[in-house]
Parts: sequence; structure tokens; C-alpha cells
Amino acid sequence: MDCFDEFTDKESVSRILKNKAKEILKNLILELKNITKEVNSPEGLLTIVKDINLTVEQGKPISLVGPSGSGKTTLLAIMAGLDLPTLGTVNLLGSEITTLDEDKRAQIRGQDVGFVFQSFHLMPRLTALDNVMLPLEILGDPHSMDKAQEALEQVGLSNREKHFAAQLSGGEKQRVAIARSIVNKPKILFADEPTGNLDKKSSDSISDLLFSLNEIIQTTLVLVTHDLFLAGKCKEVYELSEGQIL
Amino acid sequence: MRRGLIYGLKKFWSEVFSGDLLILFFSIVLAVTSISSVGFLGDRLQSSMQMQASTMLGADLVLRSTSQIDPEFLAKAKASNLNYAETTTFLSMVITEDDNLLTSIKAVTESYPLRGKLKVVNANGIQIQHSGAPPSGKIWIEKKISESLGLNQLDTLSIGNKNLIVEGIIEDYPDRNSSFVGFYPTAIANIADVEEMGVIQTGSRVVYRKLFSGTKNNLNSFEDSLKELPSDIRLQKAIDVSSDLGEDIANSTIFFNLASLFTIIISVIAAMMAVRRYANRNLLHTSLMKVFGASKPFIFGHQIMQLTLIVISASIFGLILGYSLQHLLLSTLQGIIIIDLPSPSLRPVIIGFTTAAFVVFATTAPYIKILSETEPIRILRNDFAIRLSSNFIIYLVAFFTMFGFLGVLFQDIKLIFYIVMALILVTFTLYLIGKLLIYVLSLIKFSNGTGWNLGLKNIVQRGNDSILQIIIFGLSLLFLVVLAETRTDLVDSWGETLEEDTPNYFLFNIQEYNLNTISDYLEDEAGIIPDFTPLIRGRLLSASRPESDVNFDNLMDREANLTWRYDIPQSNTLVDGTWWTNPDKVAEVSVDQEIAASMNLEVGDELNFSAGGKTFSVTVSSFREIEWQSFSPNFFFILSPAAGRELPNSYITSIKIEDSEKLMNKFITRFPTISAVNLEAIIDQAKKSISSASLAVQYIFLLTLIAGILALIASIYSNRDQRTKETAIIHAIGASRAMIFKSAASEFFILGMLSAITAIIFSTLLSSIIFYQFLDLIYSPNLIILGLSFLLAIGFIFFAGVISVRKSVYASPMITLRDS
Ligand SMILES: Nc1ncnc2c1ncn2[C@@H]1O[C@H](COP(=O)(O)OP(=O)(O)O)[C@@H](O)[C@H]1O
Ligand SMILES: [Mg+2]
Repeated sequence: MDCFDEFTDKESVSRILKNKAKEILKNLILELKNITKEVNSPEGLLTIVKDINLTVEQGKPISLVGPSGSGKTTLLAIMAGLDLPTLGTVNLLGSEITTLDEDKRAQIRGQDVGFVFQSFHLMPRLTALDNVMLPLEILGDPHSMDKAQEALEQVGLSNREKHFAAQLSGGEKQRVAIARSIVNKPKILFADEPTGNLDKKSSDSISDLLFSLNEIIQTTLVLVTHDLFLAGKCKEVYELSEGQIL
Repeated sequence: MRRGLIYGLKKFWSEVFSGDLLILFFSIVLAVTSISSVGFLGDRLQSSMQMQASTMLGADLVLRSTSQIDPEFLAKAKASNLNYAETTTFLSMVITEDDNLLTSIKAVTESYPLRGKLKVVNANGIQIQHSGAPPSGKIWIEKKISESLGLNQLDTLSIGNKNLIVEGIIEDYPDRNSSFVGFYPTAIANIADVEEMGVIQTGSRVVYRKLFSGTKNNLNSFEDSLKELPSDIRLQKAIDVSSDLGEDIANSTIFFNLASLFTIIISVIAAMMAVRRYANRNLLHTSLMKVFGASKPFIFGHQIMQLTLIVISASIFGLILGYSLQHLLLSTLQGIIIIDLPSPSLRPVIIGFTTAAFVVFATTAPYIKILSETEPIRILRNDFAIRLSSNFIIYLVAFFTMFGFLGVLFQDIKLIFYIVMALILVTFTLYLIGKLLIYVLSLIKFSNGTGWNLGLKNIVQRGNDSILQIIIFGLSLLFLVVLAETRTDLVDSWGETLEEDTPNYFLFNIQEYNLNTISDYLEDEAGIIPDFTPLIRGRLLSASRPESDVNFDNLMDREANLTWRYDIPQSNTLVDGTWWTNPDKVAEVSVDQEIAASMNLEVGDELNFSAGGKTFSVTVSSFREIEWQSFSPNFFFILSPAAGRELPNSYITSIKIEDSEKLMNKFITRFPTISAVNLEAIIDQAKKSISSASLAVQYIFLLTLIAGILALIASIYSNRDQRTKETAIIHAIGASRAMIFKSAASEFFILGMLSAITAIIFSTLLSSIIFYQFLDLIYSPNLIILGLSFLLAIGFIFFAGVISVRKSVYASPMITLRDS
């Protein structure tokens, strides 16, 4: 019997631990542990980011700020699995992406991650609608058209479906890019200086849009910016300087 | 991968029409069009040439002897599944009640002729239906016989002991030009009647022929079984007969192959440039897709699907075009091609697809790799450059794959070898020139900011891009110019073979006493002063070599038409020995080089002839090459005046007369003993062949030209994106349009000029190799073509280059900048 008790006891403990872990994972959608990135450059080995620890909880947008060249983009790329750190681990949405190969990481990105870039990166020869459909087409989603139209509506551009990139203003381009980033209903949305190429007015409306997305599609924003005002809208602000969090 | 394939399928048309794949698409279309239309034309031309030659023989293969031929050959032919016919030809008097005429009697079996058509009509001009031989007891005669003997249909004539009824008039028969028949009118009888005629006795001049026809393989196996022919039997093959006539056609075949090879090479160049631009532009797309979750297999599948679709659609398009072009060519070449079209085979389709697949994958394989391995992080870094160092390997790989494939496709290692050498040499030279240009330009300090200076500076800044452009321009031009020269010279050389004053009548049997009357008559009636050539009917009896005991067993007693003259005929070229040592003193003979080779003769050998009842011996003083197409009287044996002057002879002449029919009818009535042979039909045929071959050559050249233009455009557009961006920037910071135009103008002018000069210089080298090695023509640089090519090339590159920047110059710089 002893033996049985002990067994049940162990069982229940591990169950509790598992549930706890699940709960944590449910809230913790991104966790960086001891991230360091070094690159070879003409001037020798260069440390771009150094020993970064950071967590993102679901529904709590964070921002990375810092001067140009401080390593923000590098860190973002590592968080999103676009690049691998030299040292450290990244847990993104319950997967330790630092141990996965590029194609597995791509799969995670395709399903649950969204991206917005400073220079929009719309495909110049596709219409706004086709641009938004792109991520779903990669997933092979049969309803990509409907979902893309819905996403364009969410960013307020349903009347621009047939426009090409060159026929849109900067703010409109970025709206299309945002529609594209949320069309797969991502759990986490990375934005690298999304307003960096925009004037004040467009910039404001884009940032409003980004922060409203949390409510519309329940996505968590990870925002990289050197705009302190914008950063201030986030629950948590990490400041980066020469590759380290201050 | 599967998803990538589906995605590629969905996006195909929009990507093709967006332009990046369009040039690739068209270059593949051109390559396929060229290979499917031209590649097979050569084969077809050759086999139809052979058919035509067969028509001239009446068979594919003939055994000819002056004595009866052993029937064992028939057994062998049967064993090889050949068709068979027999003719016996001899001279005999055709006798009517009040007249007679020496006639060449051709006695044939019912299966005659095996190749070509026999045309016999009755008195009403209606064709007599049964072909082959007339029924036993009947005979067909040429018009000339019926005219000179006053014979009508159903009249009776006799040959030897046999009476025969005239059944029809011969209008045409195939083996017209074999042996002495040219001199005498012909009658065709049934071979079964020969014995009854009883005119063939020992010593008669009779030629026995066994005619065979069949498939190439069967003919070959038959020929193999014939290895040891008795010395009195001669074997004639259609190919031998065709060799003279066929040389032009062979050359046009080489030209077609050359053109199609060049078209493929140029298309590959265009494809390479197009693919480069496509890859550059697609780097953003693929990295974006990677960011959005596309895996390597997805991108790979996407590329493979698109390229496969390009291969398929461009092949289909190219095959349709190629098929139409082939029809156009065939209808153009109708004068030359007389066989029915073989039913369309799958071969061109397979080769077309293979070519397309090869060109596409050879040029894109490295880029497929680069694209599917793109790091998604490029997006964040805005880094969409493909490194040049990897491009070099790419081109090297493409280069060798390409020539491996072409070697297999054209099965002409020698040609491919020369082309590869030329390519390597010219590429290297152009590379050095490009390097040198950049070095020299970089030494110059451009202080004042004129448009011209800006263009020169741009050349330096673009570095390897500029060099690549020089190379691509230069190579495309090289092949175009070589082909242009080949085309022009080929067409010219054909034109020369048939000049306007090519004779259209041969007159035979002219006797000495008639010369002046005929000469006067022709001068009065047609304004022609004929040039009479003596014709001596003789026989070659034997040959010997002084101070050696060479055995001329292979030389049999044969008829030989001889002439004598002081100077070498215009259409002949001395290839060995000397023309007469002393024309009036030394008895010599000049021999056709091919006959000489077949008899193993050497200069200095003695030949013994008989003519006019006496025998004489002459020394071989020279060998000549005869240009048979000259349509002037040509002789295998020409005697020196000392040897020939005293021999009994008649005269022949060839004349060119306008409105020939009327005049010749009058002429024949006036001089009934003279035989006139009308060459017009043959000349017309030859003219038609030549002009249609020339036209076909033009069509093919046009195809290569289009490919060349496509390659130039592809090359100009290969870095247009970068150019556009730069234009927008300097336009935005205040450069005037004129300045931007001048900058582009000076850039393209320099690049165009350097590549054109190099291409022109090397084209003379490559042309001379092709002329000497493949066409057997003498090459002399055609300055007009070279000069014109040079100007056109510079002009084209210059204007196309300037036009390529036009759009970005006139667009607001804001739009251009915004676009990127
Ligand atoms: N692959 C690389 N090789 C060398 N240096 C790099 C590389 N990637 C980034 N860097 C350098 O690392 C630093 C940080 O870059 P980045 O992350 O783009 O900064 P930020 O986005 O904050 O402006 C910069 O100085 C940049 O030049
Ligand atoms: Mg950055």
C-alpha cells in the first residue's frame, strides 16, 4: 500500500506541476533566457546583444526602445525566430524555437506570429488584397480571400482592395501591411519601427490601430521603436543600449 | 512542398505577365521554335535531296555493267527486301519504210522506274496509265523520233528483226542523264522483246543496269553483301550523284544547324539575364514568404512549379510556332523538297520540351537554391542583394551544362568545340576589356558634373555589372554577326552559281562545215556568237605508269568524250600538275580530279585512248576540279592541242537565248542534223531551289535576330531597377532630365561600342573557322555587313538603353522612390 500511496502522491504532484506549467505557458507567450548574439565583422567578433532576459505575457504589449544601432532589430529577429542567438534560449508560444530548424520555426511563424516592418514591404506587383492574402496562401487556407477582406476592413481599407502599393500613401501601405500581419489571427505581433517612415498624423493613426488590435483579435504586441511616446503606451518598456537592457 | 506547388500554380500567370518571367518565357519560346523548326529541316532536306538524286538514277542504287550481270545479285537484293528493276540500253537503228534513225533503245522491266516518274502520252496528249514498260510488241518514243521519222501513234517501226507498234510519246523519264543517251533520241521498249530484235551481238555497245530501291537499312545491308564486285560492274548510288548538286543544300543544312545552335545559345544568354533579374526581384518576395511561415520546401516547390509551367507553356508555344515556321519553310522550300511530308512525329515535341527544360533549369538551378535558402532576416535588414561571387559559379555551371546538352543535341562535337572555344575566348577578352575600362575610367577625376561624366562614373560604380553587360552585349553580337556574314555569303555564293547568262541550250553534233552557217545564223537571229568546243568520241583503253608496274585493273575499257583546247575552261580549277607544257608539241591530257582519284591516277601517268579509228597515248599533265553547275560543256578528259587537233571531231556549244522555244523550233528545222538539248527545266529547277533556300535562310536568320535583340534587351533591363532608383534619386536632388539622358547615353554608348568592336573582330575569326571547316567556302570579311552590324549594334544598344531610363526620367521622382 505504501508503495501505492507513494505512487498516487507522485502522480498528483506531477499533475499539479503540469497544470501549473500549462497555466504559466498560457500566459507567458514569449520567454528569452540569457540571449547573446555575436557576429563576425571586419573589425572582428562583435557582440550585438548581450545576456538579455525578458518575458512577454499574453495580452500585455511590450516595447523595446533605444537609439539606432542599439540592437533592437536584432533582438526582435531572435524573438520571432527569424534569427538564432549565439547563446541562450527562446521559448515562443510554448516551443523552444532555439532548438528548432528553420522550417519548423517558419511553421510557427506562419500560424501564430504576425509582422509589421518599418518599410512596409508590400509586394509591388500585387494588389492590396493579394498582399494581405499572401500569408494565408502559404498556409493553404481555402478561405484566404474572405479572411483577407475581413482584415482589410479591420484596418479600414476595404475600399482599397484593388490598389497596388504604388497607389497607396505611406500610412495606407502600413495599414495594408498590418492587415497582412493579422490575417492569420496571430497570438503575437512583432512590429519593427512601424511608424518610422510615416508623418506625425499617419503615425498616430497607425499606433492607435496597433494598440486596438489587442482587443479586436486578441494579439499581443511586441513593439520596437525609438519613439518614447509610442513606447509609453505599452505595459512594459525595455530600454536597450549597446545591446543590453538598462 | 505540395503547398508550394499549388501556390506556384495559382500565381503563375500573374507572375508571367508581371514581366519578370516574360523575357525568360520568350527566350525559351525562341529556343524551342528554333530547334523544332530548323533542327528537323536539315534532316528532311538531306533525305529529300537524296530522293531527288534517286530520281536522277531511277533508283537508290544501281549496278551497271557493259556485260550481262550475274543474277546472283538479284537473290541478294531479295534477301535484303529491295525492290528491283532492270534496264538494257543500246544503240540501234530505228527503221521505218522510208527512213531510219540511230536511237538509244532502253529496254526495261515492268517495275521500272523505281524512283521518279515516267511520263508517256498518247497522240491526244493524254497520259498513258500503265507505268513501267510498254507491253511486249509496243514501243514508246521521244518526240524527236516521231518528228524525224514521221511516225504517229499506232504506226509500226522495226528494230532489228522485231516490228513494234508506237504506243506513246515519252515526255519525261527519270534516268535521263545516264550515259550516252543524251546524244541520241530515246525509245523505251519491253525488255522481253530484246532477244527477238537480235541486235545485241558480241562487241555491241550495251549497258546493263540493275536498279534497286528500299529503305536505308536494307540498302546498306545489300551494299555490305556486295563487298567484292567484279571489276566490270560499277555501283552507282544516289548519294554520289547528288554530291555536286547537294553541296549547296548541305551548306544550307549546316547554316540551319548553325542558326539554330546560335539561337539557342543567345536564348540561353537572354534567359540568364532574365533569370538574374527575376531572382533579384524575387528575393524580397521569398524572404517575405519565409517570414510568413513558408518553409524551404514550400519556396522550392513554388519555384519548381513556376519553372515547370514556364517549360510547358513556352514549349507548347514554341512548338506551335516552330511547327508553323517549319510549314512556312517547307512550302518555301517546295522547289527543293519533293517528298511527301512524313507524318508528324513525336521527336520534335520531345526535343522541344527537353530543350526548354534544359535551358530553364540550367539557368535557374542556382537561383532556385539561393531563393529557397533565403534567410527571412533579410527583410528586417532590407538586404536583397544576390552576391556576385555566387553568380560566377552559377554561370560556369550553366555554361558547361549547356554545352553538354548541345553536344548531345547537335551531335557535332567539332562545331560545339569551336563554339565553346570562341565563347571562352571572347568572354575572357570582354572581361579584360571591361576591367581595363573601369580601371582607366577610375583614374580620371571627373570634376565638372556634366551628364557625360556622370555616365562614365556610373560605369565605374556599377563595376562587375558593367563588365557583365559588356560580355552579354558582346557575345550576343558575336553570334549575330557571324550568322549575318554566313547568311550573306551563302546566299551570294548560291546566286553566283546561276548567273543571268547561264546557258539554256546545248547543241550537239555540229560538223566542221556547219560552224560558220550556224554561227552566222545565231548571230543574225539572236545576236549570239557561240563558242564551239570540239567533241571527240573516244574510248579510254588503258593506263600505265612509267618505270613502275602499277596495275590499273580497276580501269576498264570505257567510252570517253574528249576535247582539246589551249586554255583551261573558266569553270575549271587546276588542282594538281601544270596546264600544257607545250601545247603544240606535247601530247598531254588534263583529267577531272574525281575520275583521276577513282582510277588511282597520278600526274605523269600515260593514258591510251582510241578515237577516229586510231589509238594514241598521252601523258597526264594535270588534274582539274570541275564546277558542274556552270552548265557549260565539261569534260573529264581534255587533250592538249598537239594530241587532239588531228582527231576527227564534231562540235558542241552551249548558248543562252531569250525566247528560246520559237527560235529553237526554227533552228531545228533549219539544221535538222543538230541535236539541241533544252536545259531550261533543269536551270529553272536549280534557280527555284536556290531562291527558296535563300528565302528559308532569311527566315531562320530572322529568328536568330529576334533572339539576339531579346538578349540585348534582357541585358539592358537586367539592372534597370537599380538604374531607375538612382535616376529617381539624382533627379530628386536636382539633376535635369537632359543630364540623366546624357548620363545613360554615354554609359550605353561606351558599353555598346566596346562590345561591338570586340564582337566584330572576333566574328571574323569565328566566321573564317566556320567557312573553312564547315562550309568549304573561302572567307573574306564582308566589310559592308561588318560595318553595318557595328553601327546597328551601337545604335540599338544606345537607343534601347536610353529608352530604358526614359520612364523613370519622366515619372515624378517621388513615385519612383515611393515604389521601392
Ligand atoms: N550581420 C551583421 N554583421 C555585422 N554587424 C551587424 C549585423 N547585424 C547587425 N549588426 C550591427 O549590430 C548593431 C545593431 O543593429 P540593429 O539590431 O539593426 O540595431 P537597431 O535596430 O537598434 O537600429 C548595429 O551596429 C549593426 O550595424
Ligand atoms: Mg532597427
